Amino acid sequence: MKPEDLLRHPLPTQTSKLTLNCPLLDRLLHGGIPCGTITEIAAESGVGKTQFSLQLLLAAQLPAARGGLSASSLCLHSEFPFPVRRLHQLSLFYQSHIPNNPLDRIFIQPLQSPDHLLDLLSRLDSIISRLNIRLIVIDSIAALFRSEFDNTPLELKRRSSLFFKISSKLKYQAQKFGLAVVVTNQVVDVIESSGNLRIGNSGFLCSSGRRVCPALGLSWANCVNIRLFLWREEERVEEEGGDIGDIKARRFIRVIFAPHLPDCSCEFVIEREGVLGVNR
Amino acid sequence: MEVSSLPISASQRGKLISSGYTSLSSLSSVSPSQLAQDLKISENEALEILKVASRRSELDITDNGACAIVNGAQTAWDMLQEEESSVRITTSCSDLDDILGGGINCKEVTEVGGVPGIGKTQLGIQLAINVQIPADYGGLEGKAVYIDTEGSFMVERAFQIAEACIEDMQEYNSFLRKDSKDSQACQIRKDPKDFLDNIFYFRICSYTEQIAVINYLEKFVSEHKDVKAVVIDSITFHFRQDFEDMALRTRLLGGMALKLMKLAKTFNLAIILLNQVTTKYSEGSFQLTLALGDSWSHACTNRIILYWNGNERCAHIDKSPSMRSASAPYAVTGRGIRNCASNSKRVKMM
Repeated sequence: MKPEDLLRHPLPTQTSKLTLNCPLLDRLLHGGIPCGTITEIAAESGVGKTQFSLQLLLAAQLPAARGGLSASSLCLHSEFPFPVRRLHQLSLFYQSHIPNNPLDRIFIQPLQSPDHLLDLLSRLDSIISRLNIRLIVIDSIAALFRSEFDNTPLELKRRSSLFFKISSKLKYQAQKFGLAVVVTNQVVDVIESSGNLRIGNSGFLCSSGRRVCPALGLSWANCVNIRLFLWREEERVEEEGGDIGDIKARRFIRVIFAPHLPDCSCEFVIEREGVLGVNR
Repeated sequence: MEVSSLPISASQRGKLISSGYTSLSSLSSVSPSQLAQDLKISENEALEILKVASRRSELDITDNGACAIVNGAQTAWDMLQEEESSVRITTSCSDLDDILGGGINCKEVTEVGGVPGIGKTQLGIQLAINVQIPADYGGLEGKAVYIDTEGSFMVERAFQIAEACIEDMQEYNSFLRKDSKDSQACQIRKDPKDFLDNIFYFRICSYTEQIAVINYLEKFVSEHKDVKAVVIDSITFHFRQDFEDMALRTRLLGGMALKLMKLAKTFNLAIILLNQVTTKYSEGSFQLTLALGDSWSHACTNRIILYWNGNERCAHIDKSPSMRSASAPYAVTGRGIRNCASNSKRVKMM
């Protein structure tokens, strides 16, 4: 290997992208999740991170004509249990476009700890090419790190150096094999008195009426290329006759930062057939 | 230096002298269109003459260097002359250019730091495009090396910025030559694809590769003399993973910094290093600071910090030997880095 081998000239004209299998969401992301980089989806629980992940695991198998990568996908999950029934339900909508049973080409691996993830990633190279994997989903990165570290400077340093190791490994594999890498992240509440560091397009992220920000802090934010944020707004629907109606949740997705996307957002709903953008 | 020594045709020489352009210095501050008018020749021809003249005066500078006491030494006066004549790379945001004294300077290492999403990569891509602006439009007409350590360089985005850059040049063209019949002469024959072809893109996946490519740059640039800007996005990423031996890290970074400084000087090119920010624990509290530690802050000539001021993006000159510390707002738009919308409105109102 020589330094001149790292030169890529001329540049490819297009980055390949993985569809979200919804034209509106694809439009928001200019075609989908780009390959070769790490995309983070951050949201509080119950907004739809895992729904997005499951949808992508299936979409990766779609043929290129439908915006997929016609490849297998790998899901590393740290939030238990894995929603296999929901995955099965979703897969029924993909069967007609995919030659084999879609569930056969989704590989699932539970994660126990950050070191376990790192160990797994270092053994992944041969597996990726053997199984023709083009998508890795980690759901979620925050759950791995939540309990293991104390809030002391030394521990935080150890934690952030693990972030960079994991991210660097993922980026290496992403660019070597043309993988799309999607990492979900949880959010934490923002306490007013604490220093307010703005990262990305919005200084003020709200979900369910609470001020939140993606978990794992500034050093992890340096490790991802694209950050998407999902949030929920609750609305009381007034019924006729002045009765107090149901609480209706509306869901939104927004680009917090991305090298190729402007600040934009879109409403979405979760239906039986998956996550769908809404034009309102 | 007399005009008569220039390698141009006799008729051109005659026209020059009869119009009063007898010395090389008289040609140094004249625009191609003015020269064309004075000599009653086409603008292209005028441009050719100016190019020959500027090449000759560059040679003069090196000649003077040779008779200095120590080989390669220059007097401060020569250096000042050289710096004043050097072209800077515009950032496409005039407010930012103003505080930078016209843009990013060649022969210097400029570090740009800020939080994720503030626009470091955007500025990096913008500069890789802007360094290619032709000399007729006040650019360097150079090529760029882009060293991507994070995977954030997006071809689509570079294409978009290149398209906007061409549009701006066209607009400038039609504005400048509104009543000239010679408008065909300087038509832009550039395509966004050409801009992308002039970016040498290296994708780096480890710090070993990063050091190897930086060592190789000298050879690469000497083979590609038209490279005028090197962007490293980011210098930091691979150096933040678990370096047990921090002294080794400092040594590696120090060596890299020296190489880059030397490269900038020898090949007269601008080096732009993008850096991340981190929190620093001191006196019981966490503070925001650029990554890689205190010794790294000596590695660059200029240091620009990008930050949020409310809803506005701002750039602050944190370190510079020649510019005073100042801040300016900028915006990241679909067309690239530009002035803040609110600011340009203010200008229009005046």
